[in-house]
Amino acid sequence: MSQKKSFLWIAWVLILPVLLLRGFTTIYPIMKTVFNSFFDIRILSGINEFAGMSNYVNIFQDQKVITTLKFTGIFVVVSMLFHVVMGVGLALILNMKFKGRRFLRTIVLIPWAMPSVVIGMAGKWAFNNDYGLINDFVRRFFPDFQLNWLINTGSARAAVIALDLWKDLPFFAILVLSGLQFISSDIYEAAKVDGADGLRSFLYITLPLIMRNVLTLCIPFTLWRLTSFDLVYSMTSGGPGEDTSLIAYRITMEAFTNLNVGYAAALAVLLFLVMGAFSWFNMRFMGKFED
Amino acid sequence: MKTDMDRKYRIYKCIAGVGKWVLFALVSFVILFPVYWIFISSITAPGELFKTPIDYLPDHPTLDSYQFLIENVGLLSKIGNTVIIIGITLVVGTIICVMGAYAFARFHSKWVNLAFGFIIATMLIPEVVTARPLYEFMQKVKLFDTYPGLIILYISSIIPFTVLILKNFAGEIPVSLEEAAAIDGANFVQRLFLIVLPLMKPAIATVCIINFITCLNNFFTPLYYSNGIQVLSVAIVQLPLRDNMYGVPWDLVSAMGWIILLPIIIFVAVFEKQIMDGIMAGGVKA
Repeated sequence: MSQKKSFLWIAWVLILPVLLLRGFTTIYPIMKTVFNSFFDIRILSGINEFAGMSNYVNIFQDQKVITTLKFTGIFVVVSMLFHVVMGVGLALILNMKFKGRRFLRTIVLIPWAMPSVVIGMAGKWAFNNDYGLINDFVRRFFPDFQLNWLINTGSARAAVIALDLWKDLPFFAILVLSGLQFISSDIYEAAKVDGADGLRSFLYITLPLIMRNVLTLCIPFTLWRLTSFDLVYSMTSGGPGEDTSLIAYRITMEAFTNLNVGYAAALAVLLFLVMGAFSWFNMRFMGKFED
Repeated sequence: MKTDMDRKYRIYKCIAGVGKWVLFALVSFVILFPVYWIFISSITAPGELFKTPIDYLPDHPTLDSYQFLIENVGLLSKIGNTVIIIGITLVVGTIICVMGAYAFARFHSKWVNLAFGFIIATMLIPEVVTARPLYEFMQKVKLFDTYPGLIILYISSIIPFTVLILKNFAGEIPVSLEEAAAIDGANFVQRLFLIVLPLMKPAIATVCIINFITCLNNFFTPLYYSNGIQVLSVAIVQLPLRDNMYGVPWDLVSAMGWIILLPIIIFVAVFEKQIMDGIMAGGVKA
């Protein structure tokens, strides 16, 4: 339509509500966070003064934050490894041709649709030594099994990661599945004729074809892990000690519980930078991958 | 030789068939059993929750925990809050997102495209980065702990995904349909409401279904931007301890959890196809 130019004001009228709303809830707060990160703002002691880079320097001397960063790293890496391996596995199961397929595809949506807080609260009880679902299940096979999951560092971390996988793995698998569905069955027929068995056609046909899709999916899934809050908040509150505290949880605690606003802002800026660097690096990498 | 091959093939087929059902059972069990466990816990009398091994078929099913939630925790008002906030969010959010998405699909200029890119890019901004300044801002403009304030934040949270899905869908509606209507004398508003909107119904249904779930899942916003107005997702972490020395009021948590899960499970069962399509098109995280 040639008269479009003159109608451009209509477009802006239509766009304005979403743009304003989204801008108001993101641009101003981000700028304010960056600004705050250079100030020492502690509401409880009424301090509000310029602090230069000291908030950033303090990050690397804060034992709580170092533990948090360590667990955040473990959480992201371990969880993502399982996401890729088991997610592809589950996607293959969902793609199998059999009568139960539709039912299976329906129920994998349940963990995706469940609020993390419900899962976290249920997890707190499920991993209880005496009355929890997990130990009850284990004890059916090993009657003397005793483990208070959420009290020991290692098992608490494993429990948090396990619940994270329970919630998000099906979602990952569904997105892998959407890539799998595009592979035409002709390719498999041809491979079969050439004598490839199931494993070989998976390794040489399926995997290379979905690899790009899987790697692309890893970007948002990693970013979501980096900003994960609800699960740890409701399940362990970061405990024992700070051993299951994630960076998003730490930031929120500093900002809303300790009211150490400047410091929280510095942590938030750091998180944002890490996320940005990760995304940028990945896009470069994916760009190379494409060639 | 041929029969040998035949038999081998049949055995292979049989193993594969059994294997499929074993995997099916395994996946179903891991997903459904915890959900079932939450359900039976919610209808077990609180005292009987301290039993080992767990009784997976409660002897004396009771709705006591639900009754307690209604009488002492104000369950009905929390359901009311949740319904009001999600309802208005879906109606207003969908309207403004349809407008925006239509404009993004039909009008192109450097700045319009940039605005679209901005809205999609904000999908990656974590709420913890914006939380504290936004919290202070909401208090300053007196929107903290109010329905309008919460609804604004809820709408904002669904905008990127909704605009993305609707824009892609609107982009596939042929412009020629509108041009034909324009020749017949339909003005802009008529074209939008009588031609485009009816065609977008399936996409609108999909985003509404998914946004309903996203809003029900929203925890951070109601937790930090309100005090008095409690929704279900926040209420579940602030339940009182009844006669329970283990730190988790599991009797009430499981009942409250099930109240949140029931609409979710019904939605998933009824709208499986739309949800699947929506997830695959937009990769939305609940």
